[in-house]
Amino acid sequence: MESNRYDVVVVGAGIAGLTAAGAAAHQNLKVALVATGPGSFVLGTSSVKAHELLEAGQTHELSEAIAFCREMARLAGCPLEEDAADGRWLPTLLGAFQRVALAPRALWQAAPREGASAAVVGIHGLTTFDENFMADRLNENARRIGSSCIYTAHQISFTRDFGIPVSSVRVAKCFDRDPSFRVEFASALRKAVSGAQYILLPGLLGMNSSAQQIAEFEREVGCAIGELPTLPPSIPSLRLSQRLEGYLRRAGVEFFRGYPVEQIEIHEDSPIRLQVASPGHPMILRGESVVLASGQHSASLLGGQCAGRDQQMHPLTAAGSAMAQNLFVAGSLLDNGSGNSGEAIEILTGYRAGTLAAATRGCYAGR
Amino acid sequence: MESTQVVIIGGGATGAGILWDLSLRGISATLLEQGDIANGATGRCHGLLHSGGRYVVKDAEAARECVSENRIIKAIAPHCVEAVGGLFVQCAEDDPAYFEKWWSAAETIGLGSKRLSAEEARALEPNVGKDIRGAFTSEDGHVDVFRLVLANLEAAVGRGARFHTYSKVTSIRITDGRARGVHYRDTRTGEEHEIACEMIINASGGWAQSVAALAGIEVPVRCDKGSLLVLNHRLNTRIINRCRKPGDADLLVPAGPVCILGTSSIQMPGPEGLTVSPEEIDHLLELGDELIPGLREARLMRIFCGVRPLYVPKAKGGAGGREISRGYALLDHEAQDGLSGFISIVGGKLTTYRLMAAVTCDCVAKKLGVNVECTTDKVPLRPAVDQSTHQRSLHSLPQAVTEKIETRLGQAVNHVLDAIEAHPELAEIVCECEMVTRGELEYVLGKSNPSPTQTIADIGRRTRLGYGPCQGTFCGYKAMLAGFQTDHWTASEAATEFSAYIHERWKGQSFIQQGKQLDQLSLSHDLYGADVEVCANSGEQDGK
Repeated sequence: MESNRYDVVVVGAGIAGLTAAGAAAHQNLKVALVATGPGSFVLGTSSVKAHELLEAGQTHELSEAIAFCREMARLAGCPLEEDAADGRWLPTLLGAFQRVALAPRALWQAAPREGASAAVVGIHGLTTFDENFMADRLNENARRIGSSCIYTAHQISFTRDFGIPVSSVRVAKCFDRDPSFRVEFASALRKAVSGAQYILLPGLLGMNSSAQQIAEFEREVGCAIGELPTLPPSIPSLRLSQRLEGYLRRAGVEFFRGYPVEQIEIHEDSPIRLQVASPGHPMILRGESVVLASGQHSASLLGGQCAGRDQQMHPLTAAGSAMAQNLFVAGSLLDNGSGNSGEAIEILTGYRAGTLAAATRGCYAGR
Repeated sequence: MESTQVVIIGGGATGAGILWDLSLRGISATLLEQGDIANGATGRCHGLLHSGGRYVVKDAEAARECVSENRIIKAIAPHCVEAVGGLFVQCAEDDPAYFEKWWSAAETIGLGSKRLSAEEARALEPNVGKDIRGAFTSEDGHVDVFRLVLANLEAAVGRGARFHTYSKVTSIRITDGRARGVHYRDTRTGEEHEIACEMIINASGGWAQSVAALAGIEVPVRCDKGSLLVLNHRLNTRIINRCRKPGDADLLVPAGPVCILGTSSIQMPGPEGLTVSPEEIDHLLELGDELIPGLREARLMRIFCGVRPLYVPKAKGGAGGREISRGYALLDHEAQDGLSGFISIVGGKLTTYRLMAAVTCDCVAKKLGVNVECTTDKVPLRPAVDQSTHQRSLHSLPQAVTEKIETRLGQAVNHVLDAIEAHPELAEIVCECEMVTRGELEYVLGKSNPSPTQTIADIGRRTRLGYGPCQGTFCGYKAMLAGFQTDHWTASEAATEFSAYIHERWKGQSFIQQGKQLDQLSLSHDLYGADVEVCANSGEQDGK
């Protein structure tokens, strides 16, 4: 096979694109993923709200898609926890609680615990997080949802220079690579929060740390730690994205990061041709089948012609016919009404499109 | 009870200009505004400082007023004006006869325009269409409307005047055919207050009719809606006018880091509850694309609309309304309706706000027996930043921040520099688009700021925080935390303020159908969707 030819090319690295690439790689195919940056799942709260799951409808296929996505995250070392029936109350950026159906474990652990005393810990110089604000709000809102959890505010300082203001990315990277920093961090936490049953921190515990590494850190501190959502960049979300990417790379997926696909050409008898706007001269990739999962950007790749999609995830022309049998769309491409992308739909459509794209491999002459 | 000589109702450009003018004449005055500064038409327009070019053909008198006011405002408030100049462009589809008519009218009035060939015009503005026929230059500029209103208010406060925002006039006290004072309600706390005065000036723009009604007087104002689109780049360096009979979307104004396209013209029943239809946006974009091919592809960041409060003179036989020009009118209700101590200033446009204030204050001074001439055409609104202050800010802040903060604060930048020198971490940039430092944010929230802030949107009007592509999603949150940390708000109040703020910012983006701004908006919804919902629900339970 030519080096730039793939069974499946996925465009977009949001949760839809990652799931699609995972589903295709699962079939032992040659898969490429092209993306400019992290998707909105990663930039945002990297969780599926309970109401989104409800709106998506509790179908067998959705359960299967979520189970697949969770298994992928588990193997990636960044497990996603789920409560599809009721959801869990998790804190928001403004210190309210919302019901969440699916979230990375570190965020999941920030749920209120009955009768517990929780220490909300801020970092001196990390100006986008205020522990006093958060503790006040959580106390107020815990009463509102009938929880008896008590929150108290604490602050710790680092002796190392993480910039002014402190950058959470720098702290997280140091957490990843410097064991002595983890020791210092754990000891500062232990001193600050004696008596608390668990700790809530702004997302800081590593850009690439595994669930096991975080569990070791918790043992060092002596209690459970939950991470709170922050303004982007959200460290728990980046961690999920990095771990998933690492896992997919190990599964053989090739990543092309940083440059957008600027053009796609559909040919009847040969693979779809994708032109990537890499510097110097464009890079060409060919996909036996292609999944577009880059949100609004996908729509412009289709030349604004896309009038919807069918059950097989094929984009439709204005006349209502599939544009091509080996072209699929996933994610929030056609969902521009509410302004709320609906992460459950992303996972479902990513899974479906990835699986269907993989199923077209039979017609690949080069194999 | 508070008392003053004059109460001004309305905190737009006209009301603020009147407060300043009265303060220079030594007349004590208090201004009441139901929202924040520039709440009505002033804060919802292009911010175009007219050269007069737009009116030369239709209304020579209005054009002459613009020519002279344009020069005055550039001289008295240089920190509020980007004197970028303008072009009146003739597109291929436009009537060549109008183009020639424009030229001769401009010469008669003395606009000082130059005639450019298509090539010369395109050399100045490469983004205009390839098939333009030619263009004229003009002296148009862009005014930061919030800064202009603040400059007038703060200058007046410096001379002892007062203004109260979020203060809605609820009734006007009249005895023996004379207005004697007003009752007003603090719309944030619900507290009721009263001010006794000798005269009341109704400068409430789109609300002039309802304010006059409190005194049992009819002031006919027609509300004409205009919608404007904000694009996240400057596609042009000068103001681009289409040289034809003024119509929809024929003006593209570069404003700070963005440019603003407008406008439409649709009659409305009142100044509130304005919305924009997708057809209207499409119509504006289509016309904008004729002026600047490819404009449709630019990132549309926000849509806003306001009303032009147009004065419609009473039918013939109606007594007295002294119509000063076709643009604006000063209504002396003593002559017209037998109510003394109450006058209305209606109609007009941003560019002539100072003239409207001068005419109003001449009338007030005469009635109060104060024999002092207007000097607002000569006295600068704010002293220029002195060299030592400038050096000091360059020492503490990056140059890009220095330029912005000095135009925003003037000499008051010293307050911020004092704080930053004591606490260097206050040099942190909280809003990257507008280069707002934490120090400036805390100053604006603090007690030494002469124009107090109540909400996050108020901070935005004083610093431009939140006017970039994030539309407050990131910097508004940081501003909220700063408000909490400086004891401006409790945690609960801060969260409520932020939810209300971000909800309002979403509204201005809700009409956007595609592109990066939609991605940005979905991110904002993802981050705060649940909070805004909680806030809306608890608001309903509390009966708010």
